[in-house]
Amino acid sequence: MSLWGWCMMLAGLLAGVAWPVSAAVEQHDSCVTCHVATGDARLMRPVEAFRADIHAARGFSCVACHGGDPQEPGMEAMDPAKGYIGIPQRQDLPQVCGHCHSDAQFMKRYNPALRVDQVSEYYTSAHGRRLKAFNDPKVATCVSCHPAHTIRAASDPASSVHPMRVAEMCGRCHADAIYMQSYGIPTDQLQQYQESVHWHTLSVQGDLAAPTCNTCHGNHGVAPPGVSWVGNICGQCHAVQADFFNHSAHAAILVTLGVPGCTVCHTNHAIKATTDAMLGLGAGAVCTTCHSTADTGGKVAVEMRQRLDTLQQAYGQAHDILLRAEHAGMEVSQAQFELQEGQTALIKARAAIHTFMVATVQEAIEPGLSVSTNAYERGVKALDELRFRRTGLGVSVLIILAIIVGLRAKIRQLERRETHRLRPGDDIPKS
Amino acid sequence: MVTEIQEPEETRRHWLTWFLSTSVGLFLIAVLYPVSRYLMPPQIEESPARTARLAVTPVEVKPNSGQIFKFGSRPGLLIRTPSGELRAFSAICTHLACIVQYRPDLGHIWCACHNGHFDLNGKNITGPPPRPLERYIVKVQQERIVVSLDA
Repeated sequence: MSLWGWCMMLAGLLAGVAWPVSAAVEQHDSCVTCHVATGDARLMRPVEAFRADIHAARGFSCVACHGGDPQEPGMEAMDPAKGYIGIPQRQDLPQVCGHCHSDAQFMKRYNPALRVDQVSEYYTSAHGRRLKAFNDPKVATCVSCHPAHTIRAASDPASSVHPMRVAEMCGRCHADAIYMQSYGIPTDQLQQYQESVHWHTLSVQGDLAAPTCNTCHGNHGVAPPGVSWVGNICGQCHAVQADFFNHSAHAAILVTLGVPGCTVCHTNHAIKATTDAMLGLGAGAVCTTCHSTADTGGKVAVEMRQRLDTLQQAYGQAHDILLRAEHAGMEVSQAQFELQEGQTALIKARAAIHTFMVATVQEAIEPGLSVSTNAYERGVKALDELRFRRTGLGVSVLIILAIIVGLRAKIRQLERRETHRLRPGDDIPKS
Repeated sequence: MVTEIQEPEETRRHWLTWFLSTSVGLFLIAVLYPVSRYLMPPQIEESPARTARLAVTPVEVKPNSGQIFKFGSRPGLLIRTPSGELRAFSAICTHLACIVQYRPDLGHIWCACHNGHFDLNGKNITGPPPRPLERYIVKVQQERIVVSLDA
């Protein structure tokens, strides 16, 4: 090794960090040179793949993770005495990555906003705990989610951890029944999730804020949510419903029963878009899981559903009649403007059912019923007015037509009279 | 002789009849076409309003306040930011179409239905709303506030 190479190695070790390699140095990177020169696809693949890796873009090279001395032209570059570790062992991976990623001072130079607790979080996860305790060869480590040599920023749509691709990435193991056989946990989460409203919102509507696996399970500290935390997790987005629920009678009872709050009615992975049919004791109602017509809870559910239906019906009728009037050319914009309050009341009432109290639901419904009734009456008046105008128009047209016909007849009569008068020898008709 | 006198009269009468008939025909078309169009209106919604002249004057809108106004058949939200700038947005939440409001205590726009928050640019900053609020152009013309759709 040249003196310059030794100096570089020493400087790196003293700094306690892997060193970025400038473009000029990269040209002399013996790792790249040799791996490409072999012509062996297996050895060339990582070199070629690494070109698109975010670490390469930031100036890092092979030695950042594999150690060694890239200034050495031959196999001496892979001397363990020079820090060469080759392919890191699975159980060592968190430390290899954490060497830089847990160093706040170092990471600040590249991405000041990036968290630096991934490794400590990882060891709290179901994956990390099993790796530490059993050196489980199947649990996920850093490279399971951030594939070595092709790591990209999470915001990059091509990244395996981009929100649109997280479910697919987790599913590579968790949807594989054979791979997961020894753990005795379900493997249909991905399939269920891909039927959920959350996946639809994310993948079809393109809303990247919609939840995917790591939203509820965490990412580096991934673990199933505890029974008593589920409400907190759902409440991250569904804050109003969670607040109503946490103050309801159900909150404490469900924890006592050992069942997670929200998921009892909404399930966990296959969460569907909610409908009013879920409330009450009819077909498709989730309340029937615990309640019947014989208990107070069942009666409250039926009562809340009836009130919601009343508002839904009143709002729907008002909306439809105003739309008909609008299509017919009537000016009903003021009524439509005011009816928007009905929609707001309906949404508020649907959130208020999480209090499981009829009075609270009714309180939310009242303003909506009032504006809906008023808007419907204005719609009826608008259509009455339309009917009156149409009748008037029809009568006017008939009158105009009658006048035209009369005029025509009169003209013909005058013409005939004129003809008779002009003919010599003809008698003038007597009137 | 009679025949010679009647020929120009016949021609003129025929021409008059043709003229009257054509005129009546055109008149009927001119009357009946709009009538038929009126009686069978197209099943499409009226285009939404593009401009609204508000009843309030600029001085009546205090800094750090907001108010709902009618924009066509839909509600709009006019706010004056704490720094004094007038801004207007659609007041319909992009989540489930509730009416949003300005919260002076928060200094931004809020939806009461599901606790959605929007900043003073209408951008969804927290909660379930998936998209920003539609922003309108606000102009002051002759001491009146005029709100219009963004081009």
